[in-house]
Amino acid sequence: MSFEEFQNRARLFVIGALEPDEMAEFENARREFGEKAEAFITECYALSEAFALSLKPAKASGQIKARLMEMVKNRQAH
Amino acid sequence: MEGIQRENPEALSQLYDRYNGILKALILRVIHNEAEADDLLQEIFMEIWNQAKNFSAQRGKPLGWMVTLARRRAIDGLRKKQAYARAEERLQQETEQQPDAWVHNSTEEEILDGDRRVLIRRVIGVLPPAQQQAIELAFFRGMSQREIAAKTNTPLGTVKTRLELGLKKIYYGLKELRDEL
Repeated sequence: MSFEEFQNRARLFVIGALEPDEMAEFENARREFGEKAEAFITECYALSEAFALSLKPAKASGQIKARLMEMVKNRQAH
Repeated sequence: MEGIQRENPEALSQLYDRYNGILKALILRVIHNEAEADDLLQEIFMEIWNQAKNFSAQRGKPLGWMVTLARRRAIDGLRKKQAYARAEERLQQETEQQPDAWVHNSTEEEILDGDRRVLIRRVIGVLPPAQQQAIELAFFRGMSQREIAAKTNTPLGTVKTRLELGLKKIYYGLKELRDEL
């Protein structure tokens, strides 16, 4: 697999759109390209961030944070 | 994230204040149910608290890690709760009312604001509708290439090409955006 092809696959990988049969080949190429591959995959996570940031933020119920913090405090107490 | 890794609840509180709106919007986009989205949001922040030790700043920003985690949980939740059919129906209704939410969801005022969301939407909005649809189904619905092909009655190879080309354009568009900002 060329690095350009790896880049195409990496972008699919970060959004969870690689098919199972492509995954093994992708992982092999990932090992082969080493640090260069890891650096590119890290960059590709900007895609996931962008898709989330493209949405209008939604307001969560006010109780959620209170419940969350209560759970965390309880967990720490035990 | 460092504060959360040190198990400081105040750090989680701050992270929640900063990102709950973004993550809730993402969850809501996947499961289309307000109450379930709130429950899932709480579970996801709990998972962030529990899994923070696995986060490495060298492997990306906290938001990318949280989005990946939230998206996975939302898609799992969608499938587990068998809400898929209901969401499908709602999505269908929304799609009919609003054929392309990414492109047409911003108001004049938002465009004038020139905020990050609008700029990102512009990058995505440049894509042909078929590429946008393929990415939307993959990212927000968790569909495989084969599922997208079946849903859109499109050859698998075409779906793959649409995804690859669309993601490549967005990737370079975002790079340009970062250089400009």
